[in-house]
Amino acid sequence: MLTAFVAVTLTFFALRLGGGDPTDSLMAQNLVTPEQLAAVRATLGLDQPLIVQYASFLAGLLRFDLGVSLFNSRPVVTVIAEQLGPTLRLASAGLLIAIVLGLALGILSAWSRNRLAADGARWVSSLATGLPVALTGILVILLFSATPLGRLPGPGLGWTRGLLLPALVLGFASAGAIARAVNTELSRSRAEPYMSAAAARGVRHGPRLLWHALRPALPLVISLCALQAAYLFAGTVVTETVFSRPGIGRLLVSSILQGDYPVAQGLVVLAALIYTLSQVMADLLALLVDPRLRGSS
Amino acid sequence: MSGRLGAGLALTWLGAILVLALLAPWLSPNDPLQPVAPPLAGPSQSMPLGSDALGRDVWSRLAYGARLTLAAASLSTTLTVVIGSVLGLAAAASGGWTDRAIVAGANAALAIPGLVLAMLIIAAIGPSLTAVVLAVGLGAAPGFARLARTSFLQVRERAYVTASGALGASRLWTARFHLLPNAWPSLASLTTTHFAWALLGITTLTFLGLAGDPSLPEWGAMLNSGRAHLLDVPRLALLPGVAIALTIMAVHRLGERGATGRSPG
Repeated sequence: MLTAFVAVTLTFFALRLGGGDPTDSLMAQNLVTPEQLAAVRATLGLDQPLIVQYASFLAGLLRFDLGVSLFNSRPVVTVIAEQLGPTLRLASAGLLIAIVLGLALGILSAWSRNRLAADGARWVSSLATGLPVALTGILVILLFSATPLGRLPGPGLGWTRGLLLPALVLGFASAGAIARAVNTELSRSRAEPYMSAAAARGVRHGPRLLWHALRPALPLVISLCALQAAYLFAGTVVTETVFSRPGIGRLLVSSILQGDYPVAQGLVVLAALIYTLSQVMADLLALLVDPRLRGSS
Repeated sequence: MSGRLGAGLALTWLGAILVLALLAPWLSPNDPLQPVAPPLAGPSQSMPLGSDALGRDVWSRLAYGARLTLAAASLSTTLTVVIGSVLGLAAAASGGWTDRAIVAGANAALAIPGLVLAMLIIAAIGPSLTAVVLAVGLGAAPGFARLARTSFLQVRERAYVTASGALGASRLWTARFHLLPNAWPSLASLTTTHFAWALLGITTLTFLGLAGDPSLPEWGAMLNSGRAHLLDVPRLALLPGVAIALTIMAVHRLGERGATGRSPG
């Protein structure tokens, strides 16, 4: 909670001290006259000392009031809320794909019975971490537009183009890191004595790997997934741009390009809150799956 | 992929890109900023990769792009490493409340995802390539500071550092002659990883149009403008995109190689 507060403060002062006067861009674009500018500055409270502005910003934050957009004077909370839905759908679908794909690739590469599959899985996961989201997005669009793949029958092309493909691109990028962690943890836990004990009791290779080796690895995988959830938020910025999807990622880019600082500030605050929340959720989930952690805390 | 072959390929690619970046004016037949041919022309004798939507030579733009992109990534990596190491060293060497303040500050900055933190910095100083370099460099500094602090702390726990403290060495002396040189190998490996991150960050931000000027021959910006003709002339987007991806993966490969090569056994 303290971390989120410091992050919010950092955001506020970075934008105020770095950019000089945020209304400069309005003047530069000849959108307002000097008299209007003074009025705008008064309504935004920019004519008051910085510390007063900071106090009213914090007070507003507690009432979920993030100020108004510089460009259409609508409340920032409303502007963000309108764009939040598509991004949440994209990010949750992407996270689901990342977890499923990451677990599958990680388990496959630790399953040393089949050398070829293990190497293939490792190769795919290093490709996933190496390829920029912008490039995978463009490759997927090319693949589905210029080849017969795009004419496949399915539950409507709009649905495929609109959600499945962007989520796949987004999830693929995060799957690599998850796969690597799963692989490392599995390799570590399978050297533990309880694995030999399980083998001696006659537990077969598959169940041994999935149940005995994977379970102790889960807390770390969960906290990594939470970290990836925060990165997904950043990844949506690129995915939304590549696929021309509406959402808060594109809103962030356009608010920066237009110099609409209250909207940009609100979005960064939102990102910090999402990060903090996902960390808390991950800690709770880890307690749920790993009884060893309960005693210590 | 066998380790040695992969590392060899990575080194070859990086060497080629570096030569291209250094010798861009001699290796490119045309001005990267001026239209020299009809728009979207195919490959020809003077333009091996054809022209882009504004009739500029794609090969020359890629060559100058190597220079601009690598220079931007190197500059912001330098920024990250210098600021991060200084903060990490200050935290590890002084301990106490200085240490706590630096760690708390780094943690707070890390609550904002790196790319969003970089975008916050661009929002504060306005879109330009300089802003992108600064944003990526400063945005990665908190993370680097935390990792560097851990490396320095590991060195500080060793017996010879305790011994030098017992012999009356000052904190500054210990930091300069024990912590910095002995933590250097792990810092170098961190720097390689951060270079790959900086390259990805910079090309992502320029791809989003946050470098301001879209005519810049920079790989991320070229990838972005190439999207307009993705279906009729896919090479305009694919060439810079693949160049970015190969460079990032090559740096990762070398970083892994360096990390495993140093550890004993």
